[in-house]
Amino acid sequence: MALLEVKNLTYYYPDEKRPALDHINLAIQEGEFVLAVGGSGSGKSSLVRALTGLIPDFYGGRIGGSVQLDGEDLSSLDRSKIVQRIGMVFQDPESQLVMTNVENELAFGMENLGLPVELMKRRIVEVSGALSLQQFLKNSIPQLSGGLKQKVMLASVLAMQPDILILDEPTSQLDPVAGEEILTMVRRLNEDNGITVILIEQRLERCFHLADRILFMDQGKIIYNSNDRKATASWAAANRNPFIPPLAKLFAEVGFAQAPMTVKEGRKLLKSSFHLQRTSSSNNTEIADGPKIKQESPLLEIEKLWFSYENGTEVLKNVNLTLFPSDFLVIMGENAAGKTTLLKNIRGLLHPSRGKIRIKGSEVKTMTVAALAGTVGYLAQNPNDYLFQPTVREEIEFTLHNLKLDKDSKVEMLLEKLALTRYAETNPRDLSTGERQRVALASILAADPLLIILDEPTRGLDYEMKALLGKLLGDLQKEGHALLVVTHDVEFAAEYASEILFMSRGQVLARDNKNVMLSRSIFYSSQIGKLFYKIDDSIVTFQEGKKALSEYFNLNKLEE
Amino acid sequence: MYAYKEQDKLFQSLCCEVSLSYIAALVFLSLFFSHPLYLLALFFALNLVILSAGIVRQWLTYLKFSLTLIFLIILVNALFVRAGATVLLYGVSVPLIGNIRITLEALCYGAGMGLRLLVMLGSFCLLTYAVHPDLILKTLGGGWSKIMLALGISLRLFPLITDDFVRITEAQRCRGVDFKVRNLRQRLEKYVPVLHTVLLSSLERSFQLAESLHSRGYGTTKRTNCREVLWRPRDYLVIVTVLLGSAYGMALVLTGRNGYGYYPKLQPFKEQEIIIAVCLALFFCFPALLDWGWEKWRFLRSKI
Repeated sequence: MALLEVKNLTYYYPDEKRPALDHINLAIQEGEFVLAVGGSGSGKSSLVRALTGLIPDFYGGRIGGSVQLDGEDLSSLDRSKIVQRIGMVFQDPESQLVMTNVENELAFGMENLGLPVELMKRRIVEVSGALSLQQFLKNSIPQLSGGLKQKVMLASVLAMQPDILILDEPTSQLDPVAGEEILTMVRRLNEDNGITVILIEQRLERCFHLADRILFMDQGKIIYNSNDRKATASWAAANRNPFIPPLAKLFAEVGFAQAPMTVKEGRKLLKSSFHLQRTSSSNNTEIADGPKIKQESPLLEIEKLWFSYENGTEVLKNVNLTLFPSDFLVIMGENAAGKTTLLKNIRGLLHPSRGKIRIKGSEVKTMTVAALAGTVGYLAQNPNDYLFQPTVREEIEFTLHNLKLDKDSKVEMLLEKLALTRYAETNPRDLSTGERQRVALASILAADPLLIILDEPTRGLDYEMKALLGKLLGDLQKEGHALLVVTHDVEFAAEYASEILFMSRGQVLARDNKNVMLSRSIFYSSQIGKLFYKIDDSIVTFQEGKKALSEYFNLNKLEE
Repeated sequence: MYAYKEQDKLFQSLCCEVSLSYIAALVFLSLFFSHPLYLLALFFALNLVILSAGIVRQWLTYLKFSLTLIFLIILVNALFVRAGATVLLYGVSVPLIGNIRITLEALCYGAGMGLRLLVMLGSFCLLTYAVHPDLILKTLGGGWSKIMLALGISLRLFPLITDDFVRITEAQRCRGVDFKVRNLRQRLEKYVPVLHTVLLSSLERSFQLAESLHSRGYGTTKRTNCREVLWRPRDYLVIVTVLLGSAYGMALVLTGRNGYGYYPKLQPFKEQEIIIAVCLALFFCFPALLDWGWEKWRFLRSKI
């Protein structure tokens, strides 16, 4: 008997005419690792909420069909029984944590279940040990990093000892290192403890290979459900479904029968198929293609910039940077490297302690933030900070009104450019993460800034949304806008940037074109770059990889 | 960020019941006492405890605001209270007040009330910065667990909302909003969208938080309280002095020796009153004295 069984489940949110879940049938066995993928609005989150009973208990609405846990209908079970067996971790740790201290947070769920104090204490020790949280037990939660907060949330759910762990995009608000750590823990819990895991995740390159079963969802339906990963990847590639890891997509698109899930599998396949040899990357001079000398005058010049906060923490140390129109520079580096502080200095929100920042020859500190809006556009990490108007149209008009710019043609042009025309009269807060991102970007682009600054723009976006954003930024680059983007997303940087700049501890370590910067690195490298590491170090993007793989493929055919 | 910061100090290591009792005793006694010497004794003891709890910087910030308030109390009292025999200033007639007549007694009465306010503010400073908020809520929880949880969540969300406000203001500035316009009305109007956005974000967060609470079984059964109350010798020592100090103070109240005659002429301090004040100070500065020993002798630290 399946641990969880969904039979003909259909669900409508209150006042909605279209079903969020449409005749879902699914059986999940004990100990399975299930990965649910699909675009926003495909029904993934609704499905997992139905599996926990949140739908319809918490959300209301109309429901048909059934969800059974060990053969018992979820609707007939007491909520405390469901909670003891099914634990759920949501996207944003800030919106889940209740207490101010780690130990109390770990106890919270158990207190709700009325467990005795001795048992709670034992479980706190166990779970904090398993997730390496012992040293933080007495710490105040607001002082923890995002990754640790999500770890605390996971520990808090695990302390309730659920049989099934459901995670709804648990890494979407985290940097890659913290995200990787969470996914590694989830894998360990599944492998070492046999906990059934149901995961919704956008970073498929990091979890596709972990899943026993993969569900593809679209418009509230499961359109593909298989426990054969490789067949799944081939199906997704054949159906041009964007929700597969780049590596699997690459091999499938070139015509390989097998689709590797990991870099290790990919390199093995590559070498066995084409008998490729390792080359010494240091001898490869093809990619040693430094920044070109430009004739035009720079848009942004930063000279010997130093910045310290009022408490004396030195964040930026002797930063020098020049940016020309049509440049697309991505800044990468570890957390607290000073990336966001640098962006805020450029935008005039912070003022340099020493050094100069010039935009089109004028010093930034001599201008007000409002006055700079027409020259420098800045989109911070959270697009929600920009959204308050009742409609998308009014959101764009708000910027135009502040800057006393003509609205007539500009609003329509921006709506069209950012694929928002059909949402023009919709409340921006009713849109998906990717769509909200585009509305926030439109509100910045309304000022037609020459320099566009984006801080972690891909956070929470799926592959499809990222591709859309990448194309949009490419178009802006072609129009002559300079783009300065801070991101941890190596895949995005590899696909769309022209140059990469590495920062560490407030200093610029290196800057060069992306093929140089992303090809000889262990961590800061795309999946495609890692695949061709020391085979052809000039390859970092999907298209470059596809071209090279096709050439090997054709060459092989000729030889045969 | 939270006001409370974990520190290796004796006051922070006390049982929440003990630290709350200490603070409550100070607040109640300051309300019952009007004798300036007794209030001064409490204020002196409180300052020593604040010093030993390592929250002097925060206390100075409190003082900065409260001294202005105290100055106002003294000024208003001196201007409006016409009682008192020792006239310091007799001046012109002012509408509503009449002839200005400032007496030493009225000034001293204002200062006495200011001192009471300082003791109360100092107690709240100690409560805010030296007692863990979760522990307060858990200790006071009991049958009020829902209210305490709501308070706890508010405590946790407050710094997040403050951060939201800063970020959203920055986002608005980047969209051309100038918050530095001179006209106050215009400036307030510019903050309306900021508050609107903060409210929307807070509502979204509240919904997500409610969902998380529901999925973690909140409200399904009677909650238990995972709280270990470990009483150490230091807790017993402090609670005994707090109880003794409170009993001593209440005895003064019950025998009518808690008051002081400001009017018509300031009553001279008696030797007995000075001794009482010293005793009160000793009772209530005991946590600071214990902390001093705790810091100085490892032996004592290990024993208490």
